[in-house]
Amino acid sequence: MRIVTLPVSTEVLKSLKAGEQILLSGLVATARDAAHQLMLNTGQIPFDIESTPVFYMGPSPAPPDRIIGSSGPTTSARMEPFIPEMLLMGMKVVIGKGEMSQETRELFHKHGAVYLAATGGAGALAATKIKSRRIVAWEHLGPEAVSILELEQFPVFVAWDLYNESIYTRRCNDT
Amino acid sequence: MKETIRFISGEAISSAVASLYAQSCIGPHYSVEKKLTSILAEESPGPGREALKIEIENLKIAAETGLPICQDTGTAVVFVELGNLICIFDSSLADAVNAGISRACSRRFLRPSQVYPPMGERVNTMNNTPAVLHLEHVTGSQIRIILLSKGAGSENVSRSEMLPPLAGSQGIIDLAERCVRAGASKACPPVIVGIGIGGNLETSGILAKKALLRDLGSENKEPELQTLENQITEILNATGIGPQGFGGKTTVMETRIIQAPCHMASLPVTVCIDCHVHRTASCVL
Repeated sequence: MRIVTLPVSTEVLKSLKAGEQILLSGLVATARDAAHQLMLNTGQIPFDIESTPVFYMGPSPAPPDRIIGSSGPTTSARMEPFIPEMLLMGMKVVIGKGEMSQETRELFHKHGAVYLAATGGAGALAATKIKSRRIVAWEHLGPEAVSILELEQFPVFVAWDLYNESIYTRRCNDT
Repeated sequence: MKETIRFISGEAISSAVASLYAQSCIGPHYSVEKKLTSILAEESPGPGREALKIEIENLKIAAETGLPICQDTGTAVVFVELGNLICIFDSSLADAVNAGISRACSRRFLRPSQVYPPMGERVNTMNNTPAVLHLEHVTGSQIRIILLSKGAGSENVSRSEMLPPLAGSQGIIDLAERCVRAGASKACPPVIVGIGIGGNLETSGILAKKALLRDLGSENKEPELQTLENQITEILNATGIGPQGFGGKTTVMETRIIQAPCHMASLPVTVCIDCHVHRTASCVL
């Protein structure tokens, strides 16, 4: 399985194909509904949006002996109202779960952005692939605070690639 | 004849609820693991099958590390069957249940996800209370508690509808299919589909939740409903949506139906989707 190091180069971004499983290593930023609303209302993005993938995730609290609690993806479709503006600001990679609308898919294609799907529900496994966590904004939001995570061989699937192909249109009806 | 009243403390209930909530969120869930493993054996090669492997591995890691299976430790849905001879002498049932949820949330590092008010500020209550409590008064001197940790990803794609009264089983099948086609990829499949039919608007929702509680692999006591369950599972799996929506043979592990009488002018139906981790735990006090 291919290890993709972040920030991802244009060449590597181009080489990703929908359906492929990859392992991500490097920095990502977490943000969910409340953080997106704050980022867009204040115009303040507490990370480099062009080079940092946005991971739709709000962890469970970290036990004393761990870096982070359970850390699986949340439903990407809830973030769709914020996506057009995030793409305009230069967002290139999103990590989440579940299919999003055709309109959003076309926007990703137009902006040359890639959608990666982590395995929904697999939060304990995800936690073991995170090396560090630093909260960078809106700590009062608790699990929804914006944080920077360092991933190490974090498993994801290429959901939408640069060629407008989607993992969600694969249908294995060979029964 | 007079039966003896059994007195029980709120603390005994809180303590049981705290254990059940932690157990449901962390596991081990051997029956779910076994079911997913049998699905894996049948699944076609591809990303759906690879995601299924991750789902199974994750259940093992959660049980080993004590981390929650999923970061969304859900809304705690607590079904209580309360014997008529029980007297909770120092607490209301709701207070005892919520104290248990709050304790598990802080001591076992479960995620607080409840916010209030639902519009505007949406401030986190920070202890994942209140739980959703469903009380059934039964005869006897025992309390049975069944807890379902219900994540929002699957709850958000569930639906209640008031169907035309004569819509029949085809109406139910169509609603389940619309629900799964529109939302299954967001609900962490392979999912379990609970369907509540009849009663009033609120009844169908509770019945659908209750339907999810049936043991994996168990049969419906009403044979015609078992037939409909099998038919719906087959139709939903023919969508090919597959594990995580990545394509595959299994989108739905099982369908379960509970029905109740309803008004002659109504056919209330709720289709409630539960994710592949299907986090339940139960006990008898």
